[in-house]
Amino acid sequence: MPFPARLGRGKEMGRGPYEKSGLLRETSLAPLARVHETFEITYPFAEVKKGSVTQRELVNDELKVTVKLLYLPFGEFDSYAVTWFEKEKNLDLKTEWIWH
Amino acid sequence: MKRVLGAGLLCCSLILLLAVSCYSEGGAKLKPPPKAKTIKELAARYDSGKCIECHEEAHDEWSNSLHSRSILGSPRTAPTIVTAVDVGLKKFAFSGVKEDKDLKVEHLMICAKCHLPQLDEATDDVAREIVATIRAWQKAQKDGDEDKTEQLEETIASLNIGCMVCHNKVALIHKYADGYPQPDTVYGAQDGEHESEEFPKMAVAPAMSESILCGQCHGLGPNLEFEHPSQCATLYGSYLFAYVAHGGSETCQECHMKKSELGHDIQAYKDEDMIAMAVDVKVEGRSLFWRKNKAEGVVPIGVIDVELYNKTGHVIPDG
Repeated sequence: MPFPARLGRGKEMGRGPYEKSGLLRETSLAPLARVHETFEITYPFAEVKKGSVTQRELVNDELKVTVKLLYLPFGEFDSYAVTWFEKEKNLDLKTEWIWH
Repeated sequence: MKRVLGAGLLCCSLILLLAVSCYSEGGAKLKPPPKAKTIKELAARYDSGKCIECHEEAHDEWSNSLHSRSILGSPRTAPTIVTAVDVGLKKFAFSGVKEDKDLKVEHLMICAKCHLPQLDEATDDVAREIVATIRAWQKAQKDGDEDKTEQLEETIASLNIGCMVCHNKVALIHKYADGYPQPDTVYGAQDGEHESEEFPKMAVAPAMSESILCGQCHGLGPNLEFEHPSQCATLYGSYLFAYVAHGGSETCQECHMKKSELGHDIQAYKDEDMIAMAVDVKVEGRSLFWRKNKAEGVVPIGVIDVELYNKTGHVIPDG
């Protein structure tokens, strides 16, 4: 999103059109640009004592992830937010956990 | 024989020149029309209802766009105009505005340059009437008076970017080269006669299908021509310096009017077709055991990789 400079000076961002001038910073997606965003989600796990050893075990080896892309015209998750993309992704980790 | 041929060619050229100049794009700078004294008068001058009879489809499309309620907005524009008065103009030491009664057209032009460019054809009374109407509309909303809210909303929406804003007032950009818009002419892609008493002529606006037409409002950033520059849009700047500069060649009209098949219903982030045209999204996911660090050890994680590709000719979002 564009961070307009308040009256085009200093480090403060302006909010109203009467005080916005120029850009302090721009985090919008540039035209023709391709970007990657990576998200890490930790599977739920527990520390389980087995004899004298404590090891980790998965509480659940499946994750259902919902990926949503929202357009926030006024910068808030409010009634003006528009969902641009939504997809469910199922992940699993069913291999043996050797290094606990 | 050569003389006859020469004279013939000259005649043809003159006829062609006459034909062209009959419907030339623009003309001399004329005395501005008398200032509209009320919202009603200004709205009537730019009433797109006059065009419905012959251009019903384009009118219906436009009616669904934000251009048809450019002062009211989503409706976030009207309250922002009042905020600009209260938090901006009244607080600036040298604006000359301490109360609403001090407002003049020049003060509102920081918003109206794009939201109502024809305001420069109105008296200062109209500037004050606009702000008073928005305040009354806000009060009616607060009081829960639905009828009054609707009535005032209609008044506010009667001021808009109608047909004759794009097809006349701002149709000719380079006035020294193309001339000034003439009050009897509708500017578009064709020239000739136009079946209308008020606008009996059609003429070609050379930039009507070019991005620069839209760039007049969906702009370059701060409007430095003002005594107090303001900024809403930076899209045309982004289009020029980030899209065209990287090989982009489509125009605003090609995507927002033609490819979208929306015509004059020019839409943006809320429209499903425009959303589909705007961004490609790919989602990949996998899981692994990650040896994070000494303290946290091995952690089971899912990794979601989202790839976004901006297919448009401008930044997303703008603002």
